[in-house]
Amino acid sequence: MSATDTPSRPLASLDIKKEVERYALVLGWIFLIAIFGLLLPDTFLTWRTFSSMLGSQAVLVVLALGILIPLTSGDFDLSAASILVFGSMFLAVSNVQWGWPVGLSVVAVVLIGLIAGLVNAFFVLFFRIHSLIVTLGIGTFLNGMTLWISNSRTVSGVSMELVEIVVIQRLFGVPLAFYYGLLVALVMWYMLEFTISGRKLLFVGRGREVARLNGVPVERVRAIAFGISGGLSGLAGVLYAGMTGSADPTSGLQLLLPAFAAAFLGATAIYPGRFNPIGTLVGVYFLITGITGLTMLGADAYVQSLFYGGALVVAVSLSQLVRQRQPQHFA
Amino acid sequence: MTTFTSRFALACGLALAPVLAGPAAAQDAMETAQALLEKHRAIPEFEPQGEPFDAQACMEGESVFSIPITMAIPFNVELQRAMARAAEEVGFTYTTWENQGSSDAWIQGVNQAISQGYSLVDVAGGLNPAVLAPQLTEASEAGLKVTTTHLYDETQEQADFVDASGKVPYSTVGEILASWAYVETEGAPNVLIIGSDDVLPTEPFVQSIQDTLSEYCPDCTQKYINVPVNEWATRIQSGTQSALLSDPGINYIIPIYDSMSQFVIPALRIAGATDVGIATFNGTPFVLDMVREGTVQMDVGESLGWAGYAAVDAMMRTICDMEVPESLGIPLLIFDESNIETAGNPADFDSGYGDAHVQGFRALWGLE
Repeated sequence: MSATDTPSRPLASLDIKKEVERYALVLGWIFLIAIFGLLLPDTFLTWRTFSSMLGSQAVLVVLALGILIPLTSGDFDLSAASILVFGSMFLAVSNVQWGWPVGLSVVAVVLIGLIAGLVNAFFVLFFRIHSLIVTLGIGTFLNGMTLWISNSRTVSGVSMELVEIVVIQRLFGVPLAFYYGLLVALVMWYMLEFTISGRKLLFVGRGREVARLNGVPVERVRAIAFGISGGLSGLAGVLYAGMTGSADPTSGLQLLLPAFAAAFLGATAIYPGRFNPIGTLVGVYFLITGITGLTMLGADAYVQSLFYGGALVVAVSLSQLVRQRQPQHFA
Repeated sequence: MTTFTSRFALACGLALAPVLAGPAAAQDAMETAQALLEKHRAIPEFEPQGEPFDAQACMEGESVFSIPITMAIPFNVELQRAMARAAEEVGFTYTTWENQGSSDAWIQGVNQAISQGYSLVDVAGGLNPAVLAPQLTEASEAGLKVTTTHLYDETQEQADFVDASGKVPYSTVGEILASWAYVETEGAPNVLIIGSDDVLPTEPFVQSIQDTLSEYCPDCTQKYINVPVNEWATRIQSGTQSALLSDPGINYIIPIYDSMSQFVIPALRIAGATDVGIATFNGTPFVLDMVREGTVQMDVGESLGWAGYAAVDAMMRTICDMEVPESLGIPLLIFDESNIETAGNPADFDSGYGDAHVQGFRALWGLE
């Protein structure tokens, strides 16, 4: 065959392009750190700043990782933040007002999240309703439950044992909360990349009919994805209560859009075009680095929103350019 | 009176400051600040804000329709309960428009008030009448009186189509918070103020804190960060952390609305700045519980029972075409470790303030 050597050159250039795309967000993150380091050499480039940034985002990381599972299988979970809020409120009410040991409250919250996820799955799969509609409804229902059990009030006084192991205890100067988020991301990365269950999840997301024809139990995989999302949202609720030592009935709902932003931003990195936990982790810390640096520079609140929204759209658009504007299949 | 006296005291201190240079001026500022704090530590006595009148006679056949910004916030629930209690004492029809904070529900509420022939429509607990301008103008043209309750600072002008407003002494609260930070840091405050510019009274409230701090200590550092209400959960913590990282000398934090505190506390823990104090305003029960636990050092509270009665007093005077007081005249009480037990355990919205207002308003309205 006379053409045996010809592909080597384009292949090499393609690989470089792919590698650049994979690590563009990481490079952007390093670039941001360098810029803020130049502008704020005495205050930004300190371990205190980095430990502070790392320690503060665990709730968002776990929530984003939670919604990432159904996103991978082609479903949206809009109830995730509502599960988080209900979970943190249930933890506070059961621990503070009913006198449950905090360990029992934590287990109960994760189980409640899991059950809420399975309820989502039941309505989506049994009645064949789009996940957007079901999770929106279940989320709103849970918001009502939260107001009900809390009497619309913030409940403080959550056991200091939980606060201690979430935000006060440190490893290398970084609150333990960071390591919980990191651990969830690493376990999820391993599951998605190196286990049969993880690959099945990817197949289902890429094409349900093809997966079904290949013998993948599509509905079971989707149900498990909803369950894991609910359980992780419950865990995020535990961390939320552990961060603040309290639970309020509404504010955690604000985390839903940042969580989706982090998941979509993460889909431009490491494994471009695919939701992936390490990319999500990088996405969350890319965004908080920008916000922290801008705040330290004294930027107004609106500048932070400009950065947050702008970074998301620009990163996803650049990624699409590199991929020659191939259609995206998120759901 | 509260505002006038405290401002007068402050003004006296300020007028003297340039004359008594250096340590003497600092001593003077310290005494002024301490005097202001001392004044707001006492359980309040009732001071009538207007002339006595026969409320039952002038409210006969009249009715009030109140639209809170949302009934999903305990603050509004308690305020509405107090207003309903006061109306029941006088014996007129009082209706609360239960809603979850959406503009279509507010509009529907104004339409209900007009169609059912109420005498007065009130927007309460932070609902800005400007967002209902066409509807409230229509109500006014239909002969209803229009009032606001617990929205404007005493220094702010009400909207044109509003007949009367039960204003709140936010500026005085600002002076108290600044004085507290000044005294607690022994005259060397480096303060981070956190506010929400999208809440109407925030501007004069924050301005009052900034002015008072500058006047006590012109060389001291202060920083303000604005976090819109719907971003409290995502931005207060990161904003506080960033401020502490860029200036480790910050020694006091003033989140101007006390529900912000729950997001400030984790920021202090993560940044390892647990010796930084927090002083705030509103007297929300869970924050009062935090004062008891020692995570928040001081919370300026206002009795919502008192506020409800004062609001109804202003409404009745509006309906009866009497002169309406400029302010609700709600007393402000400092809660710190010395008196936090009086706020209840767990704390509630109305304990610790005494009940002088109940007898006081009954006498003012000719019910005794």
